[in-house]
Order: sequence, then C-alpha cells, then structure tokens
Amino acid sequence: MFRRILVANRGEVAARIIRACRELAIESVAVHSAADADSPHLRFADRRVCIGPSPSSESYLNMDAILQAAEQTECQAVHPGFGFLGENAHFAARVRQQQLTWIGPPPRAIARMGDKAEARRAMKAAGLPTIPGTEGILGGVDEARRAAIEVGYPVLLKATAGGGGKGMRMCGDETELARAYSEASLEAEKAFGNAGLYLEKVLVGARHIEFQVLADVFGHAIHLGERECSVQRRHQKLLEEAPSPVMTQAVRDEVGRQAAEAASAIGYASAGTMEFLRDGDGNHYFMEMNTRLQVEHPVTEMITGVDIVQEQIKIAANQPLEISQDDLHIDGHAIEFRINAEDPDRDFLPDPGAITIFEPPAGDGIRVDTHVEAGYEIPPFYDSMIAKLIVHGADRDDAIRRSVEALDVFKIEGVATTIPIHRRILAEPVFRDGSYDTSWLERLLAGSEG
Amino acid sequence: MAKIILHSIGTALEKALDPSEAEKNAAHLAGLEDALEEKRAEVRAGWGEKYVARVHAKGKLTTWERIELLKDEGTPVQPVGTLVNYGMTFGPDERTSPGAGVVTAFVRVAGRITMVIANDNTVASGSWWPKTPEKIERAQEMALRLRIPVIYLIDCSGLYLPEQSATFPGKTGAGAIFKMNSLLSANGVPQISGVFGDCIAGGGYMPIISDVVYMTEQAYMVIAGAALVKGAKSQQITSLDIGGPDVHVHLSNCADHRVPDDETCLRMIIDEVKRLPTSAAPYYRRGVDPSPPRFSTDETSSLFPVDYRHAYDMRQVLARLVDDGLFRELAPETGPEMICGVGRVGGLYTGFIGNNPGLTPHPVLRGEQRPGSILYRDGIAKISQFSRCCNDDGIPIVWLHDISGFDIGPEAEKQGLLGYGSSLIYTNSTNTVPMITVLLRKASGAGYYAQAGMPYDPVAQLATTISRLSVMDGRTLAIGAFNTKLDDNFDVVAETAEEREKIRQGMEAVEARITADMDPVKAARQMDVDEVVRFSEIRSYLETLVEATYQSCGYRRVKNPRIWSLHDIAVLGEGGS
Repeated sequence: MFRRILVANRGEVAARIIRACRELAIESVAVHSAADADSPHLRFADRRVCIGPSPSSESYLNMDAILQAAEQTECQAVHPGFGFLGENAHFAARVRQQQLTWIGPPPRAIARMGDKAEARRAMKAAGLPTIPGTEGILGGVDEARRAAIEVGYPVLLKATAGGGGKGMRMCGDETELARAYSEASLEAEKAFGNAGLYLEKVLVGARHIEFQVLADVFGHAIHLGERECSVQRRHQKLLEEAPSPVMTQAVRDEVGRQAAEAASAIGYASAGTMEFLRDGDGNHYFMEMNTRLQVEHPVTEMITGVDIVQEQIKIAANQPLEISQDDLHIDGHAIEFRINAEDPDRDFLPDPGAITIFEPPAGDGIRVDTHVEAGYEIPPFYDSMIAKLIVHGADRDDAIRRSVEALDVFKIEGVATTIPIHRRILAEPVFRDGSYDTSWLERLLAGSEG
Repeated sequence: MAKIILHSIGTALEKALDPSEAEKNAAHLAGLEDALEEKRAEVRAGWGEKYVARVHAKGKLTTWERIELLKDEGTPVQPVGTLVNYGMTFGPDERTSPGAGVVTAFVRVAGRITMVIANDNTVASGSWWPKTPEKIERAQEMALRLRIPVIYLIDCSGLYLPEQSATFPGKTGAGAIFKMNSLLSANGVPQISGVFGDCIAGGGYMPIISDVVYMTEQAYMVIAGAALVKGAKSQQITSLDIGGPDVHVHLSNCADHRVPDDETCLRMIIDEVKRLPTSAAPYYRRGVDPSPPRFSTDETSSLFPVDYRHAYDMRQVLARLVDDGLFRELAPETGPEMICGVGRVGGLYTGFIGNNPGLTPHPVLRGEQRPGSILYRDGIAKISQFSRCCNDDGIPIVWLHDISGFDIGPEAEKQGLLGYGSSLIYTNSTNTVPMITVLLRKASGAGYYAQAGMPYDPVAQLATTISRLSVMDGRTLAIGAFNTKLDDNFDVVAETAEEREKIRQGMEAVEARITADMDPVKAARQMDVDEVVRFSEIRSYLETLVEATYQSCGYRRVKNPRIWSLHDIAVLGEGGS
C-alpha cells in the first residue's frame, strides 16, 4: 500500500479523500490555493502545500505546481477527486510519467471516454445499447438530416469533445436542424477546438440512471448497482437516490452486468460510472462514462457498504478486488442532497460569504460530507457546494421520512442554501411516488406543475 | 535518480505565435504540400489506367491493390522512395519510371511492422530501371537494421534492357539485391515471397533465398524466358511451361507452395506473418499506453516561417512529436543552441536531438546572444555525449535538422571545432542503435554530416517540402566561388561595367543552380532522402519507425530505464549533490 498520497483537490471532496487515507493508514498531503489557506479540511491532512494564488487556473489547475508538490513531499500517488483535473488525461499521463501512481483509470481510457462519439462507438462495440443516432462524427448537415429522419425527430446535436451543454442543440424538425447545425458546430469549435458533432434521438420523459462500476487492473469488474439522478436543474444534479424507485432486481443484474463487462472490455481499471438514459418503456441506453469519482458516490456506499474511495486507492495499488458480484447486496435506500451556497429565490445565484452558524444533523443513517464549519468564509473563486447530506433508511419511505427530519434540523446561517428547495422536493407527490423524469424539476420550478 | 520525469513542453498554437503569422505559414506550406501530394498521386498511378486495365484483364491485381489487401485494416501504408526517378526519362522512347517501378513501404501486417517490396506491375510489367536496385537495396537495408520481416510481392519482367549498363554491373547493381537477400537471411530476418506473374532473370533470383516462396498459377520463375530460349535453343515453349508452379513447386523445389490466385497468395502470406513472434513493443512500453502529442500534428506546418532565414521554436515542434508533449531535456543550459532529451513516441522511449534556430545566450560574453542552427563547441560536446548515451542505453535517436553548419572563424579553430566535430562523427559512425534523421529545413555543410545525415546510415532520412540539403546556401556558395572578384563588402570589383555585369550574372547563375539543387524533390529523386513527407506526417512516420526499432527482442535495444547512463550524465551536469 502507499505510504503517502497527494490529494489534488479542495473542499468537500478533498476532505472525503483524506478520510479514506486515514482509514487506510496512509498519510495525506493536501494542496491549497491562497484563498483556501484557512480551509478546515487542511487540519486533517498530514501535510499541506500551497500551490498558488486563488484563481483555480493558477492553483488547482496548475499541473506543474501540483507535480512539484508531490515530488517535494515524496508522495507516491495522486488522487485527483472530481472537477479540476479529475478527468484530465494529460495530467494523468504526466503523473504517471513522473513515476507517481494515478488514482484513477489509465489516461487512454480517460481520453477515449472523454471523446463522446468515440465512447459511444467503443461501448456499442463492448455490447452496451446506445441511444439511436449516428456512428462517429457527422460529415455535414445533409448527413445529419438523413440520420434525423432515420431515428425520428426530435433529435439532439452534440459536440464530440463536449461537456456542460456547449455545442448541444435540440432540434424538433428539419428547419431547426439546419439552423442549429452550424451554430452548434461553431460553438463546439470555439469551446473545445473541435467542431465534430454527432446526433442522437431525444428520448422524451427519460430518466437519468447511472451504474457504479469497479474494475481492477487484473480485468475483474463488478457493478455496485444504480443511482437515480433524474432530479436535475439545467443538467445539474441536485438530489440523487439509490436504488432507483423504478429499478427491478432483474434489470439491475442485466444492465449492471453489461456495464461491468464493458468496463473490462475497454481495459478500465478504477471506479467509474456508466450513465444511461432510461426511456418510458424501461429500455436503458448508454449515454457516457465518467472516468472519476462522482459527487453522488455516497448513496451507493450507504446501500452497499463499499467504500468507493478506498477501493480506488486499493485498485491503484494493484490490489485485486476483494468483493465479488455475488457478495454484493443492496441494503435499504439512500438519498443525497447537495447543499450549495446558492439562493433558490434568486435563480440559484451563488451566495459566497461567511457562514455564521453551521449545525448539521446527526444520528443513525445520517452522513454529512463537508469541509465547512461555523465561521468558514466561502471563497468566491470555486463552485458553491458546501456540503452533502446523505440519509439512509430501511426503505425509500423510511429514507424520505428521515430526510425530512434531517433537513428540518440542518441549520446554516450567513449564506443562502439549497436546503429549502430540497424540502420542497420532498413534499411533492411526484417525488414521493418516484414517477419523476429529468425534466420534472425544471417544470416544477417554472411553476407549471405542482 | 532513477526517475525519468518528463516535463510538458510547448504551448497551444495561438500562444506560440501570432494567429495571422500562423495562418500565413500554414498557407505557404499547404501550397507546397499540395504540390507534393500531386506528385505522389502521379507516381501511385503508375503508367495509368491502360496498364491497370491490362493487369486486371489477366485476372491479376495491381501492386497497390495487393498492398491494400495485405495490410491490417485501418493502418497506414508508409512508402519510402516514392519520388525516386521522379521527372526522369529513360531509353530511346523516353519512358518514365514512376517510383522506379517498385513500391517499398512500411506496412503493418498481422500487427507486425513489415517492409514490403513490390514490383509495380503497372510500370513496364515491373521492370527494373536505373535506381530500382538501389531502391530495393535501401529497403532491404532498413529491414536488416530494424530486423523487421520483408515481404516481396514479385511481378517483374527483368531489367529494362535499354538502360542495362546503369543497373547491371556496378556495386549497387541488381546483383546487390541478392547479396542483401543473403545477408538478411544470414542475420535471421524473415523473408517471405509471393510470386504473382513474370519473374525473369534477376527477378527470378529475388524470391529464392526467401524462407518461403508462394507462386500463383500465373507465376513463373526463369533464368531466361521463352524469347531467349527460342533464340538460344530454337525451342518453341511458353515461359509458364519452362518455369511455372508445375516445375518449381513439384520438380525443382525452387518454390514451396502453389496458390490459385493473388487473393489467396496474400492470405497465405498474412498467415505466414502470423506465425512469427508478435511485436515486443508493448513489452518495452512497460505498461504505458501510446498517446498522441498534446497539440495537433496538423499545426506543425504553421510553426515554420515563410522566409527560411527566420527562426522558430524547436520545442514547439517537439511538443507536436512526442506523446502528450512530454519531454525530458538534458542539460538545457549547456550549448542551448542544441536541444537534446528523451520523450516517448507511441509509448516508446526515443532520444531527440534538434537544432534550436533562435538566438541563445553566448556562453562567455555576458548579455550577448548568438544565432542558433549552428554547431558551437558546447552544443557539439553535449549532443555527442547524448548520442553515445542513447547508443549505450539502446534508445533510438531522432535527429531534427535545421543546421547551417559549424561555427567558423579564428575562435572556432582555436577551440578545435574540427576535433569536437570529428568526435561527434566518430560517435555517430560507430553507433549501432537505429538513428532517424528528419531534415526539417536546412541541412547544410558538415553540420548535416555531424548530425548523422545520410552518409552515416540513418535507418531512414525524411525530408519536408522546405528541406534545403546542400554544402551551403546558394548565396554563400556564390560568394565563395567568386571570392577573388569581390571586395570586403561583397561588392563586385571589376574594370568595366561590362565585366561587372558578367560577374554578377555568373554569381546569380551559381546561386540559382545551388538553390535548385536544394529542391527536396531532387534529393528524393536521387535517393539522398528516403521520403519527402508533409509536416503532419512526421509523427506517424516516427511512430512506425520507432516501433519497428522495438519490434524484435533478442538484441540490444532498450535497457531497463533504471540503469540508463543518461542518469549519470544528468548528475554530472548538475555538478553532483
């Protein structure tokens, strides 16, 4: 096992990784920017290194500084967390060239899955069903038109290098497609330096369901079941639960097995997430693969008892998976609430500033992942997530009941947070009966449904 | 320090130079590279449609169709010697010989990199022209140095007789091909032959030394064909009866197997390659995946200024050649006009030595700078030692040329540059590790020699469309030649205006001739370079060449990177610790 790991991230996820290190008796080195010099999580790390000024481009994205820090503190491995350099194949390659272990999948797998059209092709070849659409990059608007007729409108144009909705356009008919094509391609060129587009059928009323997989370097891969992530606002997940209220054990076994086999087929080794869209008829289509730890990983941990971060570290140290698929059982139900310093009444505008009171709930089945405490000043440079509340119950109803209680007593003052919106969601009959899809929350917030 | 930490070099194009400049450069090279593509297409077309139809009428495939069937799907065919004989004509009929009537190319077959030597059956039925033997021998030499299998696709009607004096008797005459056949065999390099048609006289000898020989039903191998037998022995008989598969497979045992047609023959050859050991390259990658350069190789041409006298940043070029743009430079402070270090190409360690064309600090005169692309003492010593280290450690070396020559003048002589240069020449002459030269731009004078140019046996020498290969630049040479007629300001000294004009015209003529001589197409025509490539292709050629150097094990290539002598040199450079 490693003696010392550098945690190349900040905030809640850095705290989470440091905790896993402590549990595995590994020393951790935290890096931080000038703005994070007083962040409470640094206290839990064995060593700390300042890697630059506040803007992330000069600190958390500064590869030279992070690698230098790893070298001078004699770390053996680097955990990137999520965000920042979490899915940067070039950084992974540099870490490995420096004879440090990258706690994540091989750089080639990151690059391959980062190219959305290539990921689609690879996963189709590995046996996963994909959303009806085009193979590879479109040659032009005429090809797009033909493909759209074949799969049927509405269709989605997507940038192959894409992310964050850039270069993405929904087209209801041929006129819209003709216009959107050049727009999307220009936007993609500008944002990613790659104008390549592909096309997918839009699945109306679909749910976003993702499977957690673990694969070791010896080619063994298992899945840890699914997470339901359909409660989204502008493609941003707000609340996740596991298992999905609509999943049956038979379908879980089948899609999960396919996901694990596909991971193995592409030579994947680490934790990873296969995202699927599930249409109204219960068919699952591969959407993309996230080659990193996910924000919502705790819900899976709560129902399986597997510590995903510890597993990532063990896999990186060339240990074979100790859990087999047969050992894995799902116990109860878990829900995660992302607590962001955003004001739901002001269109979720980030609300940085000082937290005067921070009193998280506690008790059986309650977990709070955070780096925050009372008196903490939220720096304006980074994202607005300050905590994750994860609640576990014997079943979904129990988990919802406990969640209502936990959110009621969760006290944060000084900044606006997303707690009120979570309480509102929990009260909704559509959420209660689990019949929501990816567009439900948007409609709810727009006031058209209630 | 057994760690080999590679550092990120280069920047995105828009940070490397002004976008308008980059655009201008790219447009300039696009023009030149389009012209190159036209020439390649011309060569590839052989003698044209009529001859393709003639081959098809016989129920045979053309040479290029054979190669397409032979190669692994989705892999490139990387020819060498495409422009040999380009623009030349031979014989009383002034016939052209596209590619000297033979295709020699690196082709991936069943996952192994092979050298394919294939007579072009759309050019005079695969005859051998002047330079055809040399082209074949060069390809055989590459295979011998790299120890990669050779596949001969034979369809050859013998020497093009009107030009026999240029191809028959000399040291590199056709017979040298068979000598190379023998040497390859003696050195354990696999050779596989498919005979697809005519295989007369010299052609007849070419396959026989191969480990295995396949013949199609249309193939025959003869010392002399029907015409000669008729003349010498008054016998009326077809060549197929004299030396077809009936004879050679079953009676003489000069061939091993008969196959019905071209397609089957190619399938059998692929099966033979499959029986050879698989590539050792993944083993030497030590778990590292091949990875493209960080910045697109399509951008490389944008880096080269329109005016060849202007400088550019060689590190930006390197960033577009090595995996992930990661590079470990050795002693960057010493002799900064030279850049040398280690990077990976397709996941495999490769040594790079390149000229830095920009201004660099003078080692003694503080605050002063001097021009790059010149060999000064410190730089020579550095690259000589680096070249030796790579040879010791078994790391293939890529030389990136943009070299005007050695430094000259009293200071240079006093320092003994002749000696330092000779030491470098000795190093490169005795290296056994494969070296690859890429003439990015200037390759002039003794600098071209000292940096392992063609006379020093690089396994391959690539040129670009702006390579300038010569003893010196046209202008400089003209000044040298008319030295006695010039004053200290290089102005013409003459009695009369008439005489002055004559001298001026003479100088211009010399300059123009030298500049024309520097045309890379001319260099390729006479085999001074192996292939002229587009800038964006350099990386893919290097991927193939470097992988080929690592393909076979059982001889010294790369040592365990813990025991590289490069580490020792790095420590000495730091002055110890």
